[in-house]
Parts: sequence; C-alpha cells; structure tokens
Amino acid sequence: MIDEYPNRELIESGQEDALIGQSVSPLAQVPASSPPTGGRATDVTHRSHTPGTPGEEAVRNELVLIERILAGEKELFMELVRPYQKVVYSMAVSIVKSDNDAEDISQEALFKAFKNLSQFRGECKFSTWIIQITLNEARHRIRKKQRAAENSMDGGFENEEGDYVPIDLADWREIPSETLQRKELRNALHQAISDLKPIYRDVLVLRDIQHLSVAETSGLLTISEASVKTRLLRARLQVRDALAPGFDGCWNSGSTSYRRVRPF
Amino acid sequence: MPDEKMIVEISCFEVWRRISDYVDDDVESDLKARLTYHFARCKDCKALLDGTRNVVALMGDEQTFELPAGASQRITASLEQRIAADHEAAG
Repeated sequence: MIDEYPNRELIESGQEDALIGQSVSPLAQVPASSPPTGGRATDVTHRSHTPGTPGEEAVRNELVLIERILAGEKELFMELVRPYQKVVYSMAVSIVKSDNDAEDISQEALFKAFKNLSQFRGECKFSTWIIQITLNEARHRIRKKQRAAENSMDGGFENEEGDYVPIDLADWREIPSETLQRKELRNALHQAISDLKPIYRDVLVLRDIQHLSVAETSGLLTISEASVKTRLLRARLQVRDALAPGFDGCWNSGSTSYRRVRPF
Repeated sequence: MPDEKMIVEISCFEVWRRISDYVDDDVESDLKARLTYHFARCKDCKALLDGTRNVVALMGDEQTFELPAGASQRITASLEQRIAADHEAAG
C-alpha cells in the first residue's frame, strides 16, 4: 500500500475546489508506513463504534456498488452515500456552524464525491475519503466567507516553554445525557469549536466527532501523529475552557472560590 | 497498578501535557500509573480531566451534530437532480 489516501491525487491534481485550505506543515510528510488503524490501545476505549461505518460485508457491497456506478448506473450513487449523510453533515456543521451552510456543503461534497468517484480505489475507507472531501469543501466555504484564522481566538495561554495553561480549573463532572437536548449547550459547543484555530479544529473534528484514529487523522491532514496528539490536547482543553466556566452564568470570575460551574 | 511507594510524583504541568492521551488511554503504563496517582490527589487536575472527558463525550454524541428535520430529504433531492443533470449533459 503506497498511499492510504488516494484522494490526495485529487488534491495534487490541482482541482482547486478540493484543495482549498489544505494546510501544509513542515511535518507534512506522512510516513507511508503508517501503522494500520484499529488495533491500537488508543482506539479501543471510546472509539469502538463509529456511526455509519459499515462492516466487512458492507464494504464489499460498497465496492461492488462503486464499480456499477462507474460503469454507468449512476442512480445507484444515492444508495452508496445514504449511510454517510450523517457523517458528511456532522463534519460540515462542526466546521461552519450554520445549518444552512452545512447543508449546502453536504450537497456539494456529495456531488464532488460523485464526480470524482473514479479516483476512489478502496485503499482507504470510503468514509475517510468522503470526510476529506467534506473537510475541503467546508474549508473552501469558510475561505469564501473570509472567516479565516484572524477571527479565531486562543483559549488559555502558553507559558515560556510552550505548555498549555488552562484558563481555570473549575470542576465540571458528569454530563447527564438529557442536557444534550438543551440547545444552549449544543450552541455553546458549536461556538467553542468554531472559535478554535483551524489547525486545532480540524484535528478535534476528525478525532472526536468522526472518530478517526490518530493514524487516519495524520494521513488525512498530512501532519505527523505527534502533531495530531498535541493539537488534539490543545483543542480539547480550549473547548473545555470555553464550556466549563460559567456556561450558565454562575461562574464567579475574579474569585478563587468557584461556585457551581456545571451548566445544569 | 504498581506499588504506590514506587510511583514518582509528577507536576501538574506534566499532567496537563498528557491529559488528552490519558483520556484516550494512550500513555505508557508507568506514566499512566503516575497520572492516575496524581488525579486521585489533585482536585484541580481531576477537574480538568473530568472536563476533558466531558468534551470528548459531548463531541462524540450523535445528538450533538444531528441532521435537522428535512435536511436529509433536501440533500437527497438536490443530489439526485444534479446527478441527473450531469448525466444528461454527459449525453
């Protein structure tokens, strides 16, 4: 396996729309020998289930479907991507925040997947391929809206050694699942994600929403696995900073004694 | 779990550096023991750990980024239309 991410061709072939916003880091060279995903201790704890990810048999069916679509049965494309609508939408909305934009991006990304289907060769998961197209599409949309990095903020700050220092150490324990029903919490989370710098946001979205492994994220973003981990740390702590203190207004700033800070 | 007497204590700074890896269970076993030991005794770092876990749980919950009502049908309809148009254009 030379290239686990064949869609890179789509990126390198100069197809602007698919390329926009692709960040290039000095650490960008993905080792071709990236370990296969799935077997790492990292991924067994809370990543055992990826919504929408098909099993082995479904993957075979998927490849058959793709062949038939490429051979001309284009109407089968809807069947192919139906299981991925949620994946595509969650990817889009976590980056652009607006429901309308996310819907447009989902449509656009799926259409691009259709147009470029011949470039998918089954060397990575179809879901990963679709996720990359959606990420590029969302970045493109953001660029068009000129909501680039200068609008984003940093959460905590770095000390001289470059370590992350949390804004506060407020206690924030269990989340009862019913709080997810509360729109405010979801909105606050969307806001916190969109306030992240794109380099942190992308890693967070791929790891914690799309449940890609460290290796898959590293391949998709063309950054090292070490960068994936440090960016993920930063992103998670910044989102925590944004949500933990005073989400419900009872945060008592300027005091060392914290009142109840859980948002419920 | 190694003997607690053998565990070398680490600073809060060091804990923060690895807190995300700890949540992912991606730390070497001796460091994991040190972190676990630290979390049991430092309420600030424990609060940070709980908060970080909350973020991961919230982000990973399907309800957080679910499709709004009607979105799936709209996406499907638009896509079908575009594919059909593309098909016609291609002859």
